[in-house]
Amino acid sequence: MQLDILGYQCKKCQTISYPYRTLCRKCGHDAFDPVPLPKKGKLLTFTQLFTLPGDFEVNDITLGIVELENGVRMTAQLKIDAPKMGMAVQGKVEVVRQAGYDKCRGMVFYPR
Amino acid sequence: MREVYVAGIGITSFTRLEYPLVEIAAYPAMMALKESGLRKIDHLYAANMGGGRINGQTGLASAVVDNLGLTPAGAETIENGPASGASALKEGFMAVASGMHDVVLVTGAERMRAVNNLEATDFVATLTHPYAEYIYGVTLPSLAGMFTRLHMDRYKVTPRHLAMVAVKNHGNAMFNPFAHLHQPITLEGILDSEDAATNNPVVADPLRFFDCCPVSDGAACLILSTAEVARKTGKPMVRLSGVGQATDTLCVHERDNPLELPAVRGAAAQSLKMAGKKPSDVDVAELHDAFTILEIVESEECGFFKKGEGHLALAKGETGLKGRLPINTSGGLKAKGHPVGATGVGQAHEIVLQLRGEAGERQVKGAKTGFTVNFGGFGNNVVSLCFTREK
Ligand SMILES: [Zn+2]
Repeated sequence: MQLDILGYQCKKCQTISYPYRTLCRKCGHDAFDPVPLPKKGKLLTFTQLFTLPGDFEVNDITLGIVELENGVRMTAQLKIDAPKMGMAVQGKVEVVRQAGYDKCRGMVFYPR
Repeated sequence: MREVYVAGIGITSFTRLEYPLVEIAAYPAMMALKESGLRKIDHLYAANMGGGRINGQTGLASAVVDNLGLTPAGAETIENGPASGASALKEGFMAVASGMHDVVLVTGAERMRAVNNLEATDFVATLTHPYAEYIYGVTLPSLAGMFTRLHMDRYKVTPRHLAMVAVKNHGNAMFNPFAHLHQPITLEGILDSEDAATNNPVVADPLRFFDCCPVSDGAACLILSTAEVARKTGKPMVRLSGVGQATDTLCVHERDNPLELPAVRGAAAQSLKMAGKKPSDVDVAELHDAFTILEIVESEECGFFKKGEGHLALAKGETGLKGRLPINTSGGLKAKGHPVGATGVGQAHEIVLQLRGEAGERQVKGAKTGFTVNFGGFGNNVVSLCFTREK
């Protein structure tokens, strides 16, 4: 099964929302085309988080906000040893959290 | 609109409280009723965020109005995340200002130490976006960590500046008998000494343990009324003279400028404008310092200091008890504590004490105008209140 994280492009003003919203934030239109998002981007900021919700079975995770090549931003996990602001990153869809029997998939960024 | 006054106040210690949520919410209401001499109210608002999830208690306001013997007054529970308290005060303000009610009791309460710290943090994290933030493990501390890193890079805020907020607010809390943490701390102990890394471990880098507020139980209450009712209490007249509120995108990554908190700016400007005040008129402020960085950035967004200069004013002592604009005289969320649904009412309680001249050793001399910022989510729903001392 191919899974991807999608953006939602407004059919009227072309603005891409991520995540999905019912009405476009720019123009108020209500129809969107799902569009694949670029997997390449640059890291805007990040944190190494040590106090994790109980369902995480690791000591810490690294989270970041990435600006993708088309300007859309996303929050994601990082698998990068020494992250630096502004560094080039490459995303991959992976399991980011296991909640009960559900595997939650999301974007994980690696150094590029 | 009618003018709205404070007819009575009450508060519990912000700490761990081993009582049912309903009784925690009722306790400061009892104090406020006693102080005001009022036996009847028109309406009750109960501010709470986690009762349904953490304490198995829904419909809190209905339970509290009965517990206080105040039926058949109307009652509603207000949930607006960690800004529930100020939101409930805003609703109370509107009810009195509109002429609908003469006496409204607003109690904010939370009992979140019924679960462990990680569960409490996870509960608060449920206010982030479910699949664009929460599933990744995003928590409020992690959003604050990422926000702090941007400010360190852009405005040269340092770990020392952050620690200065904590040291100041822990110091103020030493004068507040209701504060959660009565623990004086020093820059030496949490930053410079050999033991600092152990005393003050990283939580969400660059934020450390002492950059984050504790998880608290607690409750606070204000009774809002017409001038006529308030005058009969014999207490100094404090008016809730301005309310403001603004929202922003739920996902932090969607903010136009991730260094800014426009909802704070919007809410603060509205409450000051309604009160007919300028930022420079404010004598004392309670800002939502769930994380040390927030006190600094909010102080800029409110117009007290220029953008990128809040940390410099802090370092000069301008926000200390004896400074030009004392901020978080109560100890703030950092040291007074953060029982989420109660926090906004607790901030207002401190401002009322200050404007009445009843703040004891932490009294700001001659304070006439007080101001609060209560922050729901990570800056995506912000309520600001302005209070003024009247003749
Ligand atoms: Zn559009």
